[in-house]
Amino acid sequence: MKLFKTLCIASALMVSASGGAMAQAISLNGGEDVDMVLLPKFLGILVFDQANEGAQEAHAELNNPGELLFVGPTPENSVAGQIEIMTTSATQGQGAVMLSNNAGDQIVPSAKAAQAAGTKIVTWDSPIPSGEGEDVFVAQVDFGSIGEVMADMALSILGGEGQMAILSATPDAANQNAWIASLKEVLAADAKYSGIELVDTVYGDDQSEVSYNRALALVDKYPDLGLIMSPTTVGIQASSKAMQDEGLCDQVKVSGLGLPSEMLSYTLNGCAPEFALWDFRDLGYLTYYTAYGMATGQLSGEIGETFTAGRMGDYTIEEDPGRPGSKRILMGPFTVYTSENVEAAAN
Amino acid sequence: MNAPRSTSPHASKSLFAKLRSWEAFLTFVLILVILVNSTLIPQYFTISNQINLFQLSIEKVIVALVMTFVIINAEIDLSVGSIMGLAACLFGWLFQNGVSAEMAIVIVMIAGGLAGALNGYFIAFVGLPSLVVTLATLIGFRGLARVLVEDRGITDFPDWFDALGQQGLVGPIPFSFFAFIVLFTIAFIILHRSAFGRLTYTIGNNREVAEFAGVNTAAVKMKIFVASGLVAAFAGLLYAARVGAVRGDVALGFELDIITLVLLGGVSIFGGSGTMVGTLLALLIVLNLRNGMALMNVTGHIQTGVIGVLLIVSVVLPRLDVTRIFKSRNPRGTRQ
Repeated sequence: MKLFKTLCIASALMVSASGGAMAQAISLNGGEDVDMVLLPKFLGILVFDQANEGAQEAHAELNNPGELLFVGPTPENSVAGQIEIMTTSATQGQGAVMLSNNAGDQIVPSAKAAQAAGTKIVTWDSPIPSGEGEDVFVAQVDFGSIGEVMADMALSILGGEGQMAILSATPDAANQNAWIASLKEVLAADAKYSGIELVDTVYGDDQSEVSYNRALALVDKYPDLGLIMSPTTVGIQASSKAMQDEGLCDQVKVSGLGLPSEMLSYTLNGCAPEFALWDFRDLGYLTYYTAYGMATGQLSGEIGETFTAGRMGDYTIEEDPGRPGSKRILMGPFTVYTSENVEAAAN
Repeated sequence: MNAPRSTSPHASKSLFAKLRSWEAFLTFVLILVILVNSTLIPQYFTISNQINLFQLSIEKVIVALVMTFVIINAEIDLSVGSIMGLAACLFGWLFQNGVSAEMAIVIVMIAGGLAGALNGYFIAFVGLPSLVVTLATLIGFRGLARVLVEDRGITDFPDWFDALGQQGLVGPIPFSFFAFIVLFTIAFIILHRSAFGRLTYTIGNNREVAEFAGVNTAAVKMKIFVASGLVAAFAGLLYAARVGAVRGDVALGFELDIITLVLLGGVSIFGGSGTMVGTLLALLIVLNLRNGMALMNVTGHIQTGVIGVLLIVSVVLPRLDVTRIFKSRNPRGTRQ
């Protein structure tokens, strides 16, 4: 990230030196009046509240006299509720809807209708699969890098060699399966990981109770197990609790993808010394800057356009490699949490 | 036509008596909601908003028409949401496997009728409680829908199919709205102007008595559940056309919203009473209320809460002695 920033600054300097022949990072003017809606998958989930905090921060920073609304459906009414809010936003003439899509392509007709009414659709966290009805997707991380992040955490926790097992969500969870495949690839590709032995992959169905029991079963089955890697927030928390309850934390560590607020105590007591995730506050912040820029017409949303998103630095709109024809902005690398930084992120 | 069985000394047709009916109360609430909406929300009375208001819930509203028959008949159909989901997913699956959309629609409608017949068979002929049977099929049909499309979404239906759900058929008014008007008229005539409608009330009031009187109660129940399956399948197709894509969770949980509409309309959960107009008023109230709350940016949990309070009121009010002002219609349900 630092390197990226330095490069951006360097290139910006070069550009200004050469008389602005190349595209420069657009600096957004604050103070323009535009109403926007932040629409999460549903209400009552901590990470979405954090995204809202980030968006509110950006809203204040840009001095937007308009309104930033945080409205969402209830979990049991998520799909129909998202469609309804999208439609309502078009009726209200909102400048932009920032959507964490939970409706798949079912959102497309209402999103297109909103675009036709002049509303910009910026997705974050979860895009519209077909890319239709979407102006740009703010991607939290490059999911291709996830294998490397997990392999590096394993390497650091196991100190070079040892046995590792994976505790995933469900056998057919598309995200997790792709991430596990990526981890296996990275482990096989680089000799520095050759001391790590992946002994098993089990599934806790993303339920605390099941994950807890599967974690304990792993310890029974593999007496030399040194690490449980869980690429799901439910699994990592349940595994950590299981190791803590059984007093196994000195012997078996836990790592993977987790929420700082849920993992705080396990990271501080050493059961889960390192885990990774992205920062949802930053995601909300960057999404707001993107949506504000597009809704006020300061950004055209074309590929190659670069702009400055406040404290987070410069970002460029590019083609989404996972969804050809669609556009994305890549937020950045994973944040790896340790006892050093977990407390600050947990609040 | 029949005088309400009221202790009131007033004549049945006097304004005073009419004011006491549940429908009058609902009309009052509806006018109140519309007044509040139009005062507070500048966009409320625009044509596009009025169309959105209907279109966003049109599938539930259509299924509520048949649900009115089901509940008046003293039964319940919890499986309608799952039949809607199964219909949408079956359509997507067939289309993806090369069946033409026209043919897929026919097959889906047949499947909907069969799904309803399965419910009807166990309820009417085997004699199992509809709560149990349709709870089982709620799970079963949903499972089947999920098996068909798994975690994928199926999209890219033919343009005419998408247009039917998303564009105006006559001017800005969509096909689904006309479908609702036609189905409402049919439902109204059958319930209030036909022998079948009278049987529906009679069985709902007391099945044993109806049977002693020589009524083929099983046949009536069977027909109602088949109709419920057919209309739910039709609504599932409308949903697929409106959102242009299907997934295993289409219409998940819709059954409770649909039943809420019907109960709010004054149909007794114990069967035997209720009217089509009551259901119509209730759905107009809920649609306008939801639209108003959404435009005023009321968040999902509070919206659900408000509808919940409304339902509690609708169930409790007619049962309280104090509230005889809002006394329900006569138990036959014939219109006054």
